[in-house]
Amino acid sequence: MATEKTDVVIVGMGAAGGILAAELGKAGMKVIGLERGPRLATADFSALDELRYFQRQDLRPNAKRQPVTWRPNAKARANPLPILNYGNQAGGGTVHYGAISWRFHEDDFRSRSQTIERYGASAIPKDCSLIDWPLTYADLEPFYDRAEYELGVSGKAGNLQGRKIEGGNPFEAPRRREYPLPPLMADQSGVIFAAGARKLGYHPFSSPRAILSQTYQGRPGCTYCGFCQAFGCHIGAKSSILVTKLPEADATGNFKLLTGTMCYRVKSDNSGRVTGVSYWGSDGSDNTIEAELVILAPFIYDNTRLLLLSKTAKFPNGLANSSGQVGKHLMAHIGARVFAAFDDRFVNIYMGPNAQKHSLDDWNADNFDHSGLGFIRGAQISITPADLEGGPIGAAMSMNPPPGVPRWGAAYRDFLSKYFARYAAIIAQTDNLPYADQTIDLDPNVRDQWGLPAPRLTYDWRRPNELARVEFLLGKLEELGRAMGATHVWRSPLGAGAPGAHHEGGTRMGSDPKTSVVNRYGQSWDIPNLFIIGSSTYPSMSGFNPTLTIQALAYMSADAIANRYKNKPGPLA
Amino acid sequence: MSTHDATRRAFLVRAAAGAGAVAGAGLVPGALTQAHEQRPETGAPATTQPHSNVVEHGAFFNDENAATIAAFTERLMPGAPDKPGARDAGVLNYIDLALAGAYADLQDFYRRGLAQLDAYCRKTYHEPFVRLNAARQDEVITALEQGKATGFTWPTAQVFFDTVRTHTMEGMFADPIYGGNKDFAGWRLVGFPGAQAMFTPADLQNRQAFTRAPMIGLQAQGKGPARKA
Repeated sequence: MATEKTDVVIVGMGAAGGILAAELGKAGMKVIGLERGPRLATADFSALDELRYFQRQDLRPNAKRQPVTWRPNAKARANPLPILNYGNQAGGGTVHYGAISWRFHEDDFRSRSQTIERYGASAIPKDCSLIDWPLTYADLEPFYDRAEYELGVSGKAGNLQGRKIEGGNPFEAPRRREYPLPPLMADQSGVIFAAGARKLGYHPFSSPRAILSQTYQGRPGCTYCGFCQAFGCHIGAKSSILVTKLPEADATGNFKLLTGTMCYRVKSDNSGRVTGVSYWGSDGSDNTIEAELVILAPFIYDNTRLLLLSKTAKFPNGLANSSGQVGKHLMAHIGARVFAAFDDRFVNIYMGPNAQKHSLDDWNADNFDHSGLGFIRGAQISITPADLEGGPIGAAMSMNPPPGVPRWGAAYRDFLSKYFARYAAIIAQTDNLPYADQTIDLDPNVRDQWGLPAPRLTYDWRRPNELARVEFLLGKLEELGRAMGATHVWRSPLGAGAPGAHHEGGTRMGSDPKTSVVNRYGQSWDIPNLFIIGSSTYPSMSGFNPTLTIQALAYMSADAIANRYKNKPGPLA
Repeated sequence: MSTHDATRRAFLVRAAAGAGAVAGAGLVPGALTQAHEQRPETGAPATTQPHSNVVEHGAFFNDENAATIAAFTERLMPGAPDKPGARDAGVLNYIDLALAGAYADLQDFYRRGLAQLDAYCRKTYHEPFVRLNAARQDEVITALEQGKATGFTWPTAQVFFDTVRTHTMEGMFADPIYGGNKDFAGWRLVGFPGAQAMFTPADLQNRQAFTRAPMIGLQAQGKGPARKA
């Protein structure tokens, strides 16, 4: 058993943790990072191996050893989810992610107010717990800019300081300057998607991605190999935390990374402060780090779990939980999906970065009039392979054949044989609303490899607002497939109510300590030397992927800690 | 645990061997450049094979179970002239090796699933699965898929079907290093070029099938499609 002292301990070295480690290290603070998985390197990713990385999920947590359970409602028994869609190594999910890097819309930060102003309060479902964020897009813009430039994001501006730019996303919020790198090349799927979308009067564009379109900061440009989402990049062109911020953190001389470690408790004293963390080392040892500042930055489940596991006599409901909000308002994206297949051409969608290649934003956020539609908020629409991964195992597992074609046998063989290189998927990634009864708590029946209770999700996305939205969007996707000139267009079944990708919530931020867990800096209202950074703090989500916003929030919190908190510890808001 | 360790081992083996070997055969889906070698459905396929009726097993399955899996997976992905199927791709070998390694925790799942399948076939048709003709085998598989096959407890008929289907697709399309996708049979079937480290701007815009470069697997192996002299 070892005890160490440090200024800052950060739990989780992913999208948020890596940025905080580098920035706080640069500010002269001694930082220890705890990471459950290993620290891999670009050389570890030379195998372009669909079975290992996509199908067997080599860069994700092992669902048997580190189970997360799910039930659709509080009356059902929870069962372990078969697949866990987040990272399990230094760099976290940014190692394997598709690297889609959006700034949220201005109205994503105030969707409650936006909805009430435009449609009246009755447009928000009665059981929905939608609140505005305690910050605006303008507050976060400088930090989005930093994230894009320091990490390396490729894209085309659509709104430069209020001026609309042809070829970019006209619905994006104003940005101070262009992307640091030009957009990635469109493959054929992007070209036909763009042509079809324009026919319908939409505004397609190359999705902004944290993948280098050319050499940047000593790293090479993308080679369009297609082994991207689900894979580590074999040349380091994906701007993962592993190849961007962790080397920066190392260079400060103030950073120590402990891999293979499992934090199981945040320690606190009777003065109401946290004093550090307890963790199990890779050798099974039980260790303590005493720290002035504790920052939690794992994937969202472990924030709620750690806070609940760390309860004391002084904090009987868990840490940072005087509001009773810890674990509530779980959100996740659902991908409504349509397939399009072409008899007169090949698409070869396995080429190029595979996730959400080309997009349109016309049906996202409040970019369109929802009057009379029966739902609020929208979805980002994009073209992509079956499961955002382009290989044949992905197609065989995730592409349901069109009506009339079975899932096996000669007819199925002929379908795959003919259309594997001639299909594309069009997906709508939905902005699902928060509801207080969508929760994370501790599973009373299932424990993980360390003997800790598994995080248990209670969640069913099939709410009236969400179902109406998905039905509306599927119609738009079919229209788009036909406008693209596809010979065959068919829907994918919607499936059960389990949460999809990109989970948010559990430790929501807000303006009121009575109804939220943390302030805009991720600082606990109850315990000023405890921070929680990541998408668990999102009060609402967006149709956009969450990672760049996680990274911008990490920069903003790091800035506030280094420039204000460090000199005068205490509440920042 | 086993999955992770096994893939790690596979990686180390591969790293030692050196990745990026190239094997021949261009890619023209539907009109394969390689002559399709039809193996007889029964009888000794090759003198070097130790088992007379089924090729490529020995790590996990006994002969009887191997024959059943070979027949079952061939119905899921049947071979035809110029269309390699499960037998051509060595799906049995893939599943056999996986159950002895990465999927060792599914050994009992397969044993019991196959025992239930056998009991169902004997009860319904008075013959084991392998003795049924193709149409009857398809009836059985359909009954499994739809959960209508009786007598299944664990695994359930649907779960057993889904798992065998998943493993059949893995054996068809995973890199040959895992023991299936023999001679890139699965990749030739669908027109996937394998582990290409890069595509050019012209590749990205080509409306035709990709044929510029040969298929690439992860390991130098002398197992690639034979080049014609």
